[in-house]
Amino acid sequence: MKKVRILSLLSVTALISTVFITAPTVANAAPACDGKSPIQTCVGATSDGAPYAMQVPANFNGTVALYSHGYRYNVDIPAGIPLIGGYKITNTPEPVPGGNAAVAQYFFSQGIAILGSGFARQGWNPDSAIKTNVELIDTFKKQFPATTKVVAWGSSLGGVITQGLAEKHPELVSAVAPMCMADNITPQLTMAGDFLWGVKVLFDPSIKGGNYSPGAAGVAESYTDLVKVFTVMGKLQAALATGAWPDTASATGKALAAAGVPSRSALLLLGLMAGLPTQSAHFDSVSGPEGALKLTFPLALSPALAILENGTNAAALAVLATQDVENQAGGAIFDNTKTDYAARIDGERVIYNAALSGNTVIDALLGALSAANPGAPRAVADPAAVAKMNALHVNTGKINVPTVLMVGVADPITPAGASQRLVDLYVEQYAAEKAAAYKAYQTTRDYKAPVNKLLMLWNTTPTSYTKFNAAGSPDTSAPAAQGTNHCNFTSAQLLLVAKSLVQASNTGKLPSGAALYTAVRRAGNLSIDKGLSVPLLKYYTDNQ
Amino acid sequence: MNAMNRRKLITASAVLAIVGLAATALPAQAAEVGVSSSQIKLGMTLPMTGTASLGYNKIPGAAKAYFDYLNANGGINGRKVTLVVKDDRYVPTEAVAKTNELILKDKVMALLAPLGTANVKAVASVVNPGRRGIPVLFVNTGFSGFADKKKYPTTYTVLPSYVMEAKIMGEYIKENFAGKKIGLLYQDDDFGTDALAGFKTAGVNFAIRVPYASGSQNAAAAAGWITKFKGAEVDVVILFGVSSATSAMLGVAAQLKYAPQWMLGSVGGDATTIKATGVPAAVLTNAIGFSPVPATTDMKDEYVKFFSDIYAKAVPGSAFDLNVLLGMNTAFMTAQALKAAGANPTRKSLINAINTQGATFANSALVPAAYSRTSQVGLTGYWVGRYSSSGDLSPIGGSYVTYTTDSGAGAVVKSTYKRPAMPAKGLPN
Repeated sequence: MKKVRILSLLSVTALISTVFITAPTVANAAPACDGKSPIQTCVGATSDGAPYAMQVPANFNGTVALYSHGYRYNVDIPAGIPLIGGYKITNTPEPVPGGNAAVAQYFFSQGIAILGSGFARQGWNPDSAIKTNVELIDTFKKQFPATTKVVAWGSSLGGVITQGLAEKHPELVSAVAPMCMADNITPQLTMAGDFLWGVKVLFDPSIKGGNYSPGAAGVAESYTDLVKVFTVMGKLQAALATGAWPDTASATGKALAAAGVPSRSALLLLGLMAGLPTQSAHFDSVSGPEGALKLTFPLALSPALAILENGTNAAALAVLATQDVENQAGGAIFDNTKTDYAARIDGERVIYNAALSGNTVIDALLGALSAANPGAPRAVADPAAVAKMNALHVNTGKINVPTVLMVGVADPITPAGASQRLVDLYVEQYAAEKAAAYKAYQTTRDYKAPVNKLLMLWNTTPTSYTKFNAAGSPDTSAPAAQGTNHCNFTSAQLLLVAKSLVQASNTGKLPSGAALYTAVRRAGNLSIDKGLSVPLLKYYTDNQ
Repeated sequence: MNAMNRRKLITASAVLAIVGLAATALPAQAAEVGVSSSQIKLGMTLPMTGTASLGYNKIPGAAKAYFDYLNANGGINGRKVTLVVKDDRYVPTEAVAKTNELILKDKVMALLAPLGTANVKAVASVVNPGRRGIPVLFVNTGFSGFADKKKYPTTYTVLPSYVMEAKIMGEYIKENFAGKKIGLLYQDDDFGTDALAGFKTAGVNFAIRVPYASGSQNAAAAAGWITKFKGAEVDVVILFGVSSATSAMLGVAAQLKYAPQWMLGSVGGDATTIKATGVPAAVLTNAIGFSPVPATTDMKDEYVKFFSDIYAKAVPGSAFDLNVLLGMNTAFMTAQALKAAGANPTRKSLINAINTQGATFANSALVPAAYSRTSQVGLTGYWVGRYSSSGDLSPIGGSYVTYTTDSGAGAVVKSTYKRPAMPAKGLPN
């Protein structure tokens, strides 16, 4: 197989939301409005110093859409670091996803205002961000007393913030839409930690992978880790066809190499045990080039390539979010001393058996990664830091107001399982509401059926999408396939969410029936099939 | 109004209210997905192309041949049975994608005879037909794990499990090859794991076990396997893999004149398929084979004769082999299940029909099926045969002696099963 170019095409920048309005950062700055028509723009800062922006159409109908942006790194990234180098911390407000003009225009056409802040602090921030949003809603209402309804939406970490707002303050919002929502901090960082730990113990034991020093020293360690992780991923990419191990491999890794275990099988196993999707931006784990590799490519190579692409995409966030949360919690937060990685992949080992090189190799890898192997030392967390992390904001998953979820089924950073968890919990919640309604009916003889409050939009992948050039090498120049990458939505899909929010806000009911099916079909690459389900994050399978 | 009448009225009102409640809470009864007034649509994924397609790609044509015959004779209560077939190339992730298409785009009522342990597991895990209530009928895999009703609530096996086959093989080895050195070639996944469990239960000790990763089977790999078996000086080699693995092994063995006593598992033991790859039939001479259905050359058998005649008309020039017989047998059982599912079959009534009547469905197998309200397990045994110099598998001793067992620790016993006679014209009653 020809060498493939992946790393340069990774969409790590997708993590960083596009911004489009500058605003003052002086705390408690009152809204400064430009008085323009047909769209008036106001900027200011909340009491915690979060800059915000409001855009209000002249035909304002009393509804405002509050958007919460996703995770932004809370450290500047030196220019020399691959892929993400040169990033500077920013808290510029973002009132619609990615500054999407079509979405803003839709809201304005309906007489709806848009609103968003850049939050006071970046990194993992739902605690402070929810408070910021509460204050921002109040500020908006004071500035625009005609306000009657607030709909809230957000992407990635902004999805957590949005769901958190609806859980803590349902009285403030009439409908919400957490999109490509992250899971709670522990499941998210368990996924990150598992993958980083595996890369460290097999491919480069000099990677720290967590337990970073406090303050600036820890930040510097995380920079070093980023370079090392990207470097080892590059080496794995270069050796994907041969299965050779990187020269930085640990003694455990070298022993596996000597036993004939291909490095791609080891990489795939790490991805599976962490819960990374096996479909990525350019690798569908289905297609193969014409010729001898037609079958071998999807069976043996494509899943590992998908993990390589997804793992590299997720690695930056994994390193930097771990460092960020450790800094907040005051110590190491990842602990896999009791993790049973064999149980983790029990369902997948037969599905990816060929790419994992068969049961014999799988068992060798699991043996190497077992707690019994001193050559793969497990990570030990600081209990006090874990307690502090767990005291950070956690969403319960309760659905209080009409809620629209949308996520790519192969999102590598905020896996679709985070949304699946809410779907599963809502099934129980709805059943309980129905039982309560029936119980009330027995007394009142007036049955009031509970209203469905959840619409799940799955952004699905095409049946096949990997492209090959004339030489049979994978072509990774195409845009990421739908359903893959992080928050990879089209304007049409975002508009469907926006319109659903507006309908729910106006009527108290989410779209349904034929109208919904038509809208979903027109938006493209979405499914509302209630039978569609995706795996929860591996953290939950550990704790069932 | 007297008290009695008032009580009756209140009771009636309450009943009406509850009926009304149900009416508002439930959607209007819609026709079942994949079932119209004129058609019942079923979907199948299996390897139609690629290395592993060998032989198995005849199954859809065989099933369609029977369904065409059925449709020409009135179908199921006037509905024609149609089969949508998708090629998954024996790639689990592709099976997932194609099954999603069958369910979401083609809107099939049920999945029929998907092939391959890994593929069926992948579909169960990702597409989750069990959660959706979609029947997965008569899967073309003998993985014993599919008997787990909790994990696979709508999946029905038909082939005897690999554990059963290995146990029956083990008994044959103990009786006929005591003291011989035994070697085993097996697929290094759940297919092989099942076989290993069966051989262990049977108490077979191997001189050497050679695993191969699915997809790696080819002539070069086969040369390596032979080197290992030669090195271990084995007398008997069991080939417990897919057809392409068996063919690769026998083809290279013929070239190298390596001729141990071969013993072929049923999955890769169809002689027509093996010979189609250029393997000389002579290499099969005296090899031991296993089958749950009659020999495909046994035209005295009413089922074989019936299916063979239909197939010859439907697919002229195509050899009637084990894959064809199993494909038609599956279609025949499906037709009975659909008929038993009632005048307006639903996914639920189809499942109920197999649970309650499946064990009595007429079919060509010489061993019993174990369907019941608590079991989704199909056939439960094999007869033992020997291949002739032309590659035909015939029962040792001239008559079928069938053995039955379970996928656990149960003993292997001679079966006393009496197969039901074929219904009139080969149509479901």
